[in-house]
Amino acid sequence: MQIYTPEGHVGEPQTNLAPSPVVLSGKRIGVLDNTKPNAGILLNRLATRLEERTKAILVTVETKNAALAAPDQVMGKLTKEVEIVLTGSAD
Amino acid sequence: MVLDILEMMDISGDDPYMVTEAYAVRGWGDGLPLVAPTPERVEEMLSFLGDVDPDEVIATLAPRSGEATRRAIAVNAVLAGCSPKHLPVLISAVRALSAPELNLRGVNATTHCVAPLLIVHGKYADDADYNGGLGAFGPGNISNAATGRALRLILLHIAGATPGNGDASTQGGPAKYTYCVAENLKESPWGSYASTTGVDAESAVTIHCGEAPHNVHDMESSEPAPILDKIASAMCSWGQNNAPISQGEYFIALCPEHAVVCADHGWSRSDIASYLFHRAVVNVGEAREAFELRAWESWQHALRDDDSIPMTSHPANIKVFVLGGPGKHSSIIPSWGMTKSVTVPIIA
Repeated sequence: MQIYTPEGHVGEPQTNLAPSPVVLSGKRIGVLDNTKPNAGILLNRLATRLEERTKAILVTVETKNAALAAPDQVMGKLTKEVEIVLTGSAD
Repeated sequence: MVLDILEMMDISGDDPYMVTEAYAVRGWGDGLPLVAPTPERVEEMLSFLGDVDPDEVIATLAPRSGEATRRAIAVNAVLAGCSPKHLPVLISAVRALSAPELNLRGVNATTHCVAPLLIVHGKYADDADYNGGLGAFGPGNISNAATGRALRLILLHIAGATPGNGDASTQGGPAKYTYCVAENLKESPWGSYASTTGVDAESAVTIHCGEAPHNVHDMESSEPAPILDKIASAMCSWGQNNAPISQGEYFIALCPEHAVVCADHGWSRSDIASYLFHRAVVNVGEAREAFELRAWESWQHALRDDDSIPMTSHPANIKVFVLGGPGKHSSIIPSWGMTKSVTVPIIA
């Protein structure tokens, strides 16, 4: 017998992560700190390590509320100023 | 009958366990037996709505960006064991879920145990046999149980709130299986809650994204203040998100006997909210020690350490409705925090 599947269609295309750059040297890095505990420490230390190892450059550190999407202003700044964003940290 | 609007799949029989297993291997279902969503059952569900477009997108639900059409909602209603009369409530609930201020993406994706509580108000609650009286949170009533379950299936399937993927809840929670009640309007001394939100429709639904209910019992008090003091004490837990997130709401489900005590002393809903706002307070210094990150209003940040701070930033964030049967047990439903409740008329 036939039954319906339950999910329905996906509407607007989901945003996928961009492919990782092959070479980091000279790339501009932005940190998007979601203000979860220790997120800023973790992400900034990671950015520092990347600077040391690859000659990428940390350009800006932005913050957002973990429960909300990043404001357009923050996304616009990151889009304009960096090629790589370090973000994503849970509790 | 249009069969190619949503995808179909083949199973070898109508046995609920067979449906459950066939769905489970695809990552669908809530773990409980499911009713087969055959085209005939879904069509019967949709025919209850009359002359409306079954494939109109009612809302696009985050985080999957799933399109909740009447048909897709009906499929999940069949799966949950709903009757056609429950479908208008579900369609309206989906509209409420998609309101920007509800922040469904956050509600679904958080590590918190939040679940949307669906409250049915007015005439349709009676017409469709929802329970706002004895044992309203369950178990036992088909309308409450099946509608709440269907709403969760809609979140799992259409919204993509699957544990570990679209739902990061650390422990999950029983309210994520089903969470639906009617307002006990017959025993409310204050009229419908929905009208306090500006929705004057004969029937309406409210969605409040919060925790499972916390019980508050008061067997002895014949005046409002001692009852409400106990409720205030339940609101003052450091473990609730309301403590560091001051925009968070509280839903106060007053049992009829507690509500009558308040009303008989001339207390309105807003009187109760104002009293609780002033009594549900904690020490500012202790709050600063407890939470590194505090989503407070600017006036709250300016308070001194030896001041008291209310558990929510405004009395209007304390919402009062009547629920339950005989007995002296009320409950509070704290918020996830970064969300606002939404009330909409029931429109199919």
